[in-house]
Amino acid sequence: MAEERKQRMTATAAAAKIPKMVRANFTANLKAKEEGRPVAFSFIVNCYDEILRAMGVVPAWAESYSGICAAKRDAGRFLEKAESQNFSRSLCTYATCGLGFEHWRNELGGEMPPDAPWGGIARADFILGTGQMLCDPRYKWPQAVQHYMKDVPAYIGGFYWPPYDENMDQREVEDYYLKYAVEELRGAVAFVEKQTQKKMDWDKLEEITDLVDRTWDMFIDAYELRKARPTPMDTGDAMNTMVPLAFMLGTQEAYDFYKELYDELKDKIAKKDGVAEDEKYRLLWGAGLPPWFALSDFQYFNSKGAVFPVERTYREAERIDRLDLPKPSNPLERIALRWMRYWTHWYDAARKRKGSIPEVERLIEYIEDYQIDGVVFHKAFSCRTWHSGIMLQAQLLKEVYREIPVLVLEGDIVDISSYNEGATHLRIDAFIEVLENLKNKR
Amino acid sequence: METANGNGLILIETYYGDYGYRARALKQTGKRMMGYISAAVPVEIMHAAGFIPVRIKGDPKETVTKAYGSMETLVCPFLLNAYNLALKGKYDYLEGIVIPHTCDSVCRTYDVWKRNFPLPYYHFLNVPHLDSAPSQEFFKEILKTFVKSLEQFIGKEISGQDLANAVLAYNDFRKTMRELYDLRKPDQPLISGIEMMKTLVAVKALPVDESTALIRQIINEAKGRKASSPQKPLRVMLVSDQIDDTALIEIIENTGAQVVMDDISVGSKLYFADIEATSDPIDGIAEYYLKKVNLPTFYRDKGGSYDENLELRFGHLKRFISEFNVDAVILLVYKNCDPYGFEVPATISYIESLSKPVFYVEDEYSSSSSSAIKTRIEAFLEMLTQERR
Ligand code: SF4
Ligand code: SF4
Repeated sequence: MAEERKQRMTATAAAAKIPKMVRANFTANLKAKEEGRPVAFSFIVNCYDEILRAMGVVPAWAESYSGICAAKRDAGRFLEKAESQNFSRSLCTYATCGLGFEHWRNELGGEMPPDAPWGGIARADFILGTGQMLCDPRYKWPQAVQHYMKDVPAYIGGFYWPPYDENMDQREVEDYYLKYAVEELRGAVAFVEKQTQKKMDWDKLEEITDLVDRTWDMFIDAYELRKARPTPMDTGDAMNTMVPLAFMLGTQEAYDFYKELYDELKDKIAKKDGVAEDEKYRLLWGAGLPPWFALSDFQYFNSKGAVFPVERTYREAERIDRLDLPKPSNPLERIALRWMRYWTHWYDAARKRKGSIPEVERLIEYIEDYQIDGVVFHKAFSCRTWHSGIMLQAQLLKEVYREIPVLVLEGDIVDISSYNEGATHLRIDAFIEVLENLKNKR
Repeated sequence: METANGNGLILIETYYGDYGYRARALKQTGKRMMGYISAAVPVEIMHAAGFIPVRIKGDPKETVTKAYGSMETLVCPFLLNAYNLALKGKYDYLEGIVIPHTCDSVCRTYDVWKRNFPLPYYHFLNVPHLDSAPSQEFFKEILKTFVKSLEQFIGKEISGQDLANAVLAYNDFRKTMRELYDLRKPDQPLISGIEMMKTLVAVKALPVDESTALIRQIINEAKGRKASSPQKPLRVMLVSDQIDDTALIEIIENTGAQVVMDDISVGSKLYFADIEATSDPIDGIAEYYLKKVNLPTFYRDKGGSYDENLELRFGHLKRFISEFNVDAVILLVYKNCDPYGFEVPATISYIESLSKPVFYVEDEYSSSSSSAIKTRIEAFLEMLTQERR
């Protein structure tokens, strides 16, 4: 994602370009602010990408900025600021880092906090959040940040998808979920129209929605090349290459990036140019956001011959034809359907395997498609949404599928205080030993 | 209704001390119990389906042991504790559990409950976080799906009349609870915070009609009480989510202060509004749970200014402070609780804007941690008592 203190080598040229792109995103929001163009705080997987892009709103990605502070190992002072406001240390540290930052800016009368990494994040003109299953901070963070920017309005859209129930086909209830999501997206359009005093260009929205469909396909096509042995790219790079998908969706640049990545990976495969010098173990990054301050741990894995050809984290896209989308009547319906089916399209597989759940089916699919030897999870203490249920997933994998070595690393995404490099490396060493023993037994 | 020497509070003591005591006894007579988590689940629907709804609670005196193997410690400590109790067999009399989409801790552990505490029925109730008109319509559909799933489970239809009757029964109960709350309004409250806490908990595992009758009995008993001391105690309001134990209130009341009001999810959050009797009862139920139950998991914003939104979120605290003549507020938030945690600065400044002191404490859900905060709470209350002298 961003540059770290200890610069992590990237295997692909595409990933190496990312820090510049992330920086450009932030320069763009600061510049837009200077020029009086609208800037919106937004969150990834918020479903508003097409709307923002079609209406010329510049997104200021709240989580991304906290990730940058973490990668630069400069989040501590913002976390402390948040703590001084009685925000618990146990809350999502993306959020508390951002809240500490805004509290500080508010104290300074709107001035950027001193030495803000990369010049800071623009003060938003409005905020777009969601009340959805992804996480509580997606509606509580906007509400909390308004305490420090009371004049900034927020729109929180309800955006849900049917929960998994082994006794019920989700398609039976999809209609009312879809209706609701479309109305809420329409509410988002109306809100942005009001804030920007500009009308939505529906043709443009349609065009961008098409582009997003193609970007999802290109992203998956490129990532699936990682099935090759040796794998030409691993999760260490993917934590960078997710940036266009997460933060630039709806732009031509994002599509072009994955096309270039696709070409580069093809080329590497032809040359048998793998991530590790001697690829011995293929691992799945099963769940969890990474410790942004310690991305070099991926290289540590690589140095032991272990590579990650696939990860669950930030793979927030699927080939459109796999989603079996009914014909939508307008772009908002298409956006809603695409997201909804993205979350639910593993349900049928889960229903077929007794005792399974969609998250586990997804892991099984990756394990088989990418010939995986072991699964690594990262448990970040401050994010409940991705990190609770990891134990269950590990347990079910064993029960409904097969014995497969699992490593659960513990730490955080932003808060470095819980991280110990030596101890982490020792755990990785022990895991490699397990993989090695298993290999020798075969 | 079962009584113990005509003394409602003695019965409460039994039900509180052995949570589920009455439910287990009723099970022997063929009654059916359905568990649920949080204040966001419409108990009326479970009641209409023929179940006695039992709110899942924890026990801070119990050390968490069994849960560690299957539920992450990064979730809400109350939830972890309650799950631990379930694994230890405390909820074996339930036929199922309904888990709503409230906070990440609750929502993300649905599968963990289902897999490790298997019961014949589980349902995830996808409650939205918003109360807009589309959210309302959506929630009605969610509730209809819930009704359908219960019908399938019990093998018979739940009629509109069943639902309407349930609404009436719970409205009656809520009205009676408000009368009980009224007894806390005098300078010398007629019911202590400890007694009230025990009552709030005890009725969470009783049939609604029994609860109503029991509360009426307690009201009658309490009305006959005489003020024990001429001194007006320091009047405290407790704001939190699921406090379902007296430990904290004991700390407060042992200093001579009295807890006279609460804004907690087993307490007033559920009792200060009624369900409107609509022609389709689902409409009234949906409206009540989305708009009238003040949980921080509901995002309130009508497009007004930030201060107007604060009124929507916390206006009820202002009313409580004035009606119950509250001197000070204690705000307790559990570690790992995002919905309350993110609101702390706003809650504190709102209460302070009413010129009321507020003491904020983050806590685990455990008696050992209560003793750690004891000194701090005592010092806060002592300071306020000194100021009054
Ligand atoms: S998904 Fe997790 S890390 Fe991201 S904003 Fe939500 S709680 Fe924070
Ligand atoms: S206390 Fe907070 S985290 Fe726990 S169940 Fe309630 S809302 Fe969820």
